[in-house]
This record gives sequence, C-alpha cells and structure tokens, in this order.
Amino acid sequence: MTGPASGPTSGSTSGSERSSGAATGTPTGTGEPGSTRAETAALQDALAAEHAAVWGYGTVGAALAAGERAPVGVAAEAHRDLRDRLAALLTDRGADPVPTEAAYALPFPVLSAVDAARLAAQLEDGTTAAWVWVLDQAAQRAVRELAVGAAAGAEVRAVAWRQRAGVTPVTAATPGLD
Amino acid sequence: MGAMSTRPAPPRAAGTFGRRTLLLVAGATPLLGVLAACTGGAPDADSVTPAQVDRLAGQLGVQEELVAAGALAFAASPELAAAAATLAEQWQQQLDRLRRAAPSVTASAASSSTGPAGSTPAEDTSAQGGDPRADLRARVAATAESHAAACLDFTGARAALLGSIAAGLRGHDAVLA
Repeated sequence: MTGPASGPTSGSTSGSERSSGAATGTPTGTGEPGSTRAETAALQDALAAEHAAVWGYGTVGAALAAGERAPVGVAAEAHRDLRDRLAALLTDRGADPVPTEAAYALPFPVLSAVDAARLAAQLEDGTTAAWVWVLDQAAQRAVRELAVGAAAGAEVRAVAWRQRAGVTPVTAATPGLD
Repeated sequence: MGAMSTRPAPPRAAGTFGRRTLLLVAGATPLLGVLAACTGGAPDADSVTPAQVDRLAGQLGVQEELVAAGALAFAASPELAAAAATLAEQWQQQLDRLRRAAPSVTASAASSSTGPAGSTPAEDTSAQGGDPRADLRARVAATAESHAAACLDFTGARAALLGSIAAGLRGHDAVLA
C-alpha cells in the first residue's frame, strides 16, 4: 500500500501524533477495538487525514490548468465537510480535535497534471484507509455510517484520479485494506 | 512540517479475529501498520452473534450473485468483458475475503440467501434484457448498497471488510458508468 505517508517527514510532534500515540510508540486506538477510546483515536486519525487532504488539494489545484480544476473544488469541499464534521464529533465527546499542520511534505514533486492526479489519488487513498480503520475500531453505529459513506466517496474520487494519472488498475477490491 | 497524510494501515487479514497491533513508525510519520493475528481471549469487536453469522451468509450470497452476474454479462458482451476483466477479478477477490471472514458459513447457506433484489442474475438478465453494461452496473450498485448496510450491523474487522468492499464496488460502479 503506497500513499502520502511514504513521503518525507519532519521530526516535529503533531497533534495527530499526540492523539494516536505514534510519537511515543504506542499504537493508535490504545483501547480495545470497538471501545469508545479506540473509536475516538481512529476518528482523530481520520481527522488528521482529512486535514492533509484539504491541504493537499491546494497543491493539486495549483498544478492543474484552470479548466481542469472543477473536480478539485468538489473533492476539497467534501474533505472540508468531513473535517468539520469530525472536529464537531470529537468536540462533542470531549476530545481535543487534532489541528492541521502548518505545512505538509509532499510525497513527490508535483510538476505536471499527471503528478497532480497521482497526488490526488494518494490523498484519497489515505483518507479511505483512515475511514476503513474507523470502521474497524468504531463502537457506535452512527460512526460506522459516517465512515462507510466517507470511504465510498473517497474511493470514487480516487478511481477518477487514477484514471487521469494513468494508474492501473484504476479500481481496488478492498480499498483501505489492500 | 507534517507528513502528507495520516494513514493508519488497517488489518491485513479481516478473516482472522482477535488482534495484535504492530506499530510501524517511519521517522515521525504517524504511519501505523496493524497486523491482525489470532490471539483468542476475551469477547471483542470481532465476536459474532448467530444473527450476524446469518447476515454474513447473506452477504456471501450477494457477492456470489455479483460474480455470477458478471460472468453472464461478459458472456453477453465480449466488449464489456474486455473492458472490465479487472472488475471480475476483484469481485472474486472480494468473495474470497468474505469467505475467509465467515469460515463457519457453508456454501449452501450462502447460496440460499437472497440477494439485494431477491432475484438471481439469470432472472435479472431476462427481466431487464437490454444493456448488459447497465444491468451489471445496477447489480454492482445494489451489491455495494447491501454490503454497506450490512457493515453497520458488525464491529471490528468484519465491519471494516464489508465497508471496504462496499467502497470498492462504488468505485467499480463509477468505472462502469
């Protein structure tokens, strides 16, 4: 499974890391799978992925001609909506939503429309994986409902970007699990 | 500066239940790799009720119908078969993973379950009778809907698998559009 997370990183400690325990070497979802604690940790990971997607689509749009940016706006709006819903959900349960990073390291130089499409596909793959992980960890049916819809939306967008990038296969049997 | 994405890697083997987590940290990247493994032990998110076993049997049947519908559609349309061969492979992969997630479900139990439309692929073909691509797309969409709905009734690895398959089928639907 390749994706944005394979890109270069810094040594800073992000909000996501505080949430997930990655910086300290403890696994995400330190509670039992299906517990509220595990669910909250997975939602924090999903929020971090949505932050990255929102930021990344700015780069995608900048690399595309004006006439090719319509799907960028649609995708970015979808991710902003999910980001806001997640932040509200986490706040409602008394958690401190992970903040966005000041900047993110690109996984590869984005120098062309094809690069932009590859990046967009990877952004979507990253959010799909995060939402499938939410499904694995979720305690509440309503959270699973949110997650299954979000994963499907991300995969549909990923398919379109893979087609534009010339990536094959354009579809996946089990996105987020592969 | 952070990594481009936080991307927890979900369980590799949704058919195995109980789990052990393995954290993989690449630098400061919150990249989490989780390996599912059999650990046994206390009741957890991956335990299933008898009703859920029946539900899994139903989803196996739904997926089997999709595989059969694909074979029928491809036989009716060589062009579609050439264009969408990868989809057939992925439907079979999905079916295989569902079977591994439901090891106690027998083939007969799965086959006796009704699909999302309560009809067989052959009945669908005779009833709709026109465009194999459109018929197949409808079957894909119905299967995705069925798995997505079933996903809500499970927890743990089975919920993740059903949701992932549903998402994959939504992507297939888009390709067939």
